[in-house]
Amino acid sequence: MMKRVLPLLVLLSLLFVAACRAKTPTPAATATKAMTTATQAPTATPKPKAQKPTATPKPKEKIRIRWFIGLGTGTNPEQQKVQEQVVKAFNESQDEIELVLEVVANDVAFDTLRTEIAGGNPPDIIGPVGVRGTNEFPEIWLPLDDYLKGYDLSDYEKSALDAWRRDGKLIGLPIGVYPSFIYYNKDLFDEAGLPYPPHKFGEPYADGDPWDINKLTEIAMKLTVDANGNDATSPDFDPENIVQFGFVFQWTDPRGWATLFGAGNFYKEENGKYVAYVPDHWREAFHWYYDAMWKKYFAPNGPYIQSDLLAAGNPFNSGNVAMAHCHLWYTCCLQDVPNWDIAVVPAYNGKYTAKLHTDMIGIYQGTKHPEAAVKVLWYLAHNEDLLTVWGAMPPIKSLQEAFFRRLEEKYPGRDWQVAVESLKYIDIPNHEAWMPNFAKADDRVKQFQSEMENTPDLNVDQALEKLVQDLQAIFDEVQK
Amino acid sequence: MSRKPYVPSGYAWTSSAYPARQWRRLVAVAGVTLFALILLLGYLSPFGYMVATAFKDRQMMAKPNAPLWPAVEATYTYTGPELQVKLGSRTYRVVPGKTYPLYRVPTEEGIRNLALVIKRRKESYFIDPQRPEQGLIRWQGNWRKLQPVWQFRPKWENFVKAWHEINFPRLLRNTFAIAVIGAIGTLISSTLVAYGFARFRFPGRNVLFIILIGTIILPGQVTLVPTYAFFARIGWVGTWLPLTVPHFFANAYNVFLLRQFFLAIPRELDEAAMIDGAGPFRILWSIVLPQAWPALVTVFLFHFMWAWNDYFYPYIYLSTRPDLQPISVGIYTYNAMYFSQPHMIQATALMGLVVPVVIFFLAQRAFMRGVIFTGVEK
Amino acid sequence: MHRESIRRLWSRLDPRGPWRGLSPLERRRAVWGWVFLSPWLVGFLVFYLIPMVASLVFSFTNFNLNQPEQIRFIGLENYRQLLTDPLVRRSLWITVRFMLFSVPISILVPLALAALLNARSLWGKRVFRTLFYMPTVVPLISAIYIWQGFLNARTGWLNRFLAWLGIKGPDWLNSVTWVYPALILIGLWGMGNAMLTMLAAMQNVPRELYEAAAIDGAGPFRRFLHITLPLITPVIFYNLVLSIIGHFQYFIIPWVLLGPNGDPGGATLFFNLYLFKVAFVYVNMGYGATLAWLLFLLALGVTILLFGTARYWVYYPAGEER
Repeated sequence: MMKRVLPLLVLLSLLFVAACRAKTPTPAATATKAMTTATQAPTATPKPKAQKPTATPKPKEKIRIRWFIGLGTGTNPEQQKVQEQVVKAFNESQDEIELVLEVVANDVAFDTLRTEIAGGNPPDIIGPVGVRGTNEFPEIWLPLDDYLKGYDLSDYEKSALDAWRRDGKLIGLPIGVYPSFIYYNKDLFDEAGLPYPPHKFGEPYADGDPWDINKLTEIAMKLTVDANGNDATSPDFDPENIVQFGFVFQWTDPRGWATLFGAGNFYKEENGKYVAYVPDHWREAFHWYYDAMWKKYFAPNGPYIQSDLLAAGNPFNSGNVAMAHCHLWYTCCLQDVPNWDIAVVPAYNGKYTAKLHTDMIGIYQGTKHPEAAVKVLWYLAHNEDLLTVWGAMPPIKSLQEAFFRRLEEKYPGRDWQVAVESLKYIDIPNHEAWMPNFAKADDRVKQFQSEMENTPDLNVDQALEKLVQDLQAIFDEVQK
Repeated sequence: MSRKPYVPSGYAWTSSAYPARQWRRLVAVAGVTLFALILLLGYLSPFGYMVATAFKDRQMMAKPNAPLWPAVEATYTYTGPELQVKLGSRTYRVVPGKTYPLYRVPTEEGIRNLALVIKRRKESYFIDPQRPEQGLIRWQGNWRKLQPVWQFRPKWENFVKAWHEINFPRLLRNTFAIAVIGAIGTLISSTLVAYGFARFRFPGRNVLFIILIGTIILPGQVTLVPTYAFFARIGWVGTWLPLTVPHFFANAYNVFLLRQFFLAIPRELDEAAMIDGAGPFRILWSIVLPQAWPALVTVFLFHFMWAWNDYFYPYIYLSTRPDLQPISVGIYTYNAMYFSQPHMIQATALMGLVVPVVIFFLAQRAFMRGVIFTGVEK
Repeated sequence: MHRESIRRLWSRLDPRGPWRGLSPLERRRAVWGWVFLSPWLVGFLVFYLIPMVASLVFSFTNFNLNQPEQIRFIGLENYRQLLTDPLVRRSLWITVRFMLFSVPISILVPLALAALLNARSLWGKRVFRTLFYMPTVVPLISAIYIWQGFLNARTGWLNRFLAWLGIKGPDWLNSVTWVYPALILIGLWGMGNAMLTMLAAMQNVPRELYEAAAIDGAGPFRRFLHITLPLITPVIFYNLVLSIIGHFQYFIIPWVLLGPNGDPGGATLFFNLYLFKVAFVYVNMGYGATLAWLLFLLALGVTILLFGTARYWVYYPAGEER
């Protein structure tokens, strides 16, 4: 048998090596050339010409611009489809630039991008990316002010542009703002016989009480139910068998939780030094949310969040959560809950804070073709198809109406005014804002999050004290 | 009168000794097989979870009282006139054309399957699908204590959807090509190198072997960037070359394994052949390899399975080329940051499992033979 | 006298020195050895050597992955940090402690399984082998979701099964004690390759040896202990070496399943996980490379030690030294 098989293997491998050698580019070949050779080399082995040609050969050499997606939104299957269409349309619309799409799953996107940058093969355009993502890459952005001189920025919301200035320089073109609010599942409110939360800032809850944290706690407990149908206010309630939760902070970290109680950060500057501390209202927020998870049970703790009951980490979409605090971009992914609407965030001490996400697309500082990249950037930032599929409310005034019209087509009957109004109560400083020695500090905050979510008998004050100590040490590493 | 010959009482028993041994063997076979079966059941229970998930509906996974197997709630589509109930300050509507889940409800006529149209904590309203004209049935109690009617329904659509949505045939073709090319490369090169290490004595051999092992000891994270830079420089990024060509130059895992096998093959035959004037290649080809057949198959499988699931390197080198990506990369489409779809991941993974499992099954022919050659293959 | 010893020393250092004592035949054989090694030597020089040397150079720099152009030498700064970094010791200890339990299991269980799957009395071998091997081919991301679902404290199948037996299962992935058994369990699910190599080795044991032993009246257990086991020691050795190296490098499962902080409570902050975090999250590739070379030296030391012990317990019919 071997006598028959081995020669065959040898033959096959020789064929392959020959194919490689024939197609391997000379050192002088450009990257573009290498890309085209690649299409051929592999297909030599299975079936030739099975694939449709990706790039039709054009006589003129095009500028190749690579667009990296993966640090934020843009990797869902249906988003990928739209992105591909947009890129195709762009490439067909002109013959100077060839836009190449590079979509990398979020799990590996950060590592991939770092490898590409450090390995000397960086993309030209990067995004959409939020404040968090840019904090992990603070140094890589090309300041755009000079390149945007020929473009009319007057249609942009000034605050959105300002949000992307670092040391006075614009590091990216904002493509979307995502105000936050309370998504609520109407069916679960109906089942409990509870009125829906208010849709206007300043409006009380249906029973006349103010719409604040206490009210949210009260109704969230009524909306938390165990397998026997007892709610969290009942003495018979069984916290080991919860089947429905009243409230969740969906996909945010401790700074995001605490910002519902008011904006802040874990440091302040005193005499030119960074001092780690926990603002008082944040301390209260952490106590509140810890109790919500482990004492009053109206918010899911770690084991519940990861369970199939809450769709392995996508709680509100499971249909088993009554209220979720999340951003406008969540409209990307709400397929399974039929009857939802949005309400305003509750007040704390009479003050509303609706944390804000903003996304931008930026340009890598080392790009060889900044002008072409800016051209592409401008095109993308004004593309309505992209904005809709990303759920990105454009910071461009003339596009906003169309955006909400298309959102209304996708999800009819929702009160989008809530989203617009929420923009008046945004968090300053932003809950994703920079911290000294960001990567390490952020890492430590995540550790605190894990303690909160997964420790049944946590002493929150002690945990906070340890957090402040460690953060101070982390800050001190960069200030000596 | 004829007499039967005297037969000692024990004789009948001993004469049938052969069937008895067979009987004993049967017991042994049954016992061992049963034991293996139970073990397998436990070992594969996570796999059962995987299969069940792959066939589930996404919404079903999150239902608190759903069964472990793939099922859907039985539903009833209401067709009668619109009904309204005012409870407290709000009005609940039952709308024609809307579907409602069926629950097993205890009634005077025994347990019946009724459609739950209005859910409330203390009382709920049902409609009898058989007698919808009777209108709403008010039922006191908590509906959560009722059991929904589950119907077994594997969701084949998941597989169909994955097949089209991520272009599975293309992924499969790419994966297969990358895996087979690399496996052939590593098989040939590793065999030669292992033969060199196992059968020849030369200065520096042990040091070289330690260096060989050293190449897999240094964590890949720190060599990743220079390696990537190298491939980017020679224009291989965006092609299969970084994923296949290096395997034509042997690697430590396979060389080490083959060396161990070659060292386990006695040398007498080599030496005999050498005295007959056979050269090193001839000895490798006709003496060593026939005896190492299971090891060769193992190495082939090793690489094939590894390449089948390797995802980070394909991701890094093929991120701009979806048309060249393998399954291990394509599957990540369903793990988007805020919209992971476990049922689609498992469906894709199951489809991707078919080829390697079949290949593994077939490759065992080499094992089953238990090739033992007592002479030089002629 | 001095000159003589210097010459001897020189002949050792001289790369051609060791070749001098060889007979023409031996010399020819040695050349053949290098010829057979050449594919790897070429591959090593082209694909491995530069990146390895580069990573060693990184360890003397402040290489930041986000700003490759700002790289500069900082001497032994990274190595100084290595000595004072408490996480180095902690993560090493976590790694070694996990190894002490996991490595023996990662050898013994596949060995036992291979013996079972090679048993004469097993019916349907091919199917069994295939099914036991199958989980090894499950892709990582799929396996992560499987285990997250299977081990979930609330809805996981394992705890449902335990509850059916009347036992309240622990919170496998969130308890500082139970997370280790959980990781070992997950590791066992990928033992197909170890099983496969041992099975392959068992195929090469000459059948005559078993027949002879059976005539001597040895039972299946003794036959395994005295014939099978010694004859497959080369492959056991192979698996042991790779298992130890693999455990030094262990990180991808806890990283994806439990996150970058070594949850719960830092219990899974394995050394290589910390290394990866330093290099790719803190983007300090300089220090990351330093950690990597520490790991390299430790693992290489253990490996060489293992090779030293091999002569006492690994049986090579062909003789390693000839």
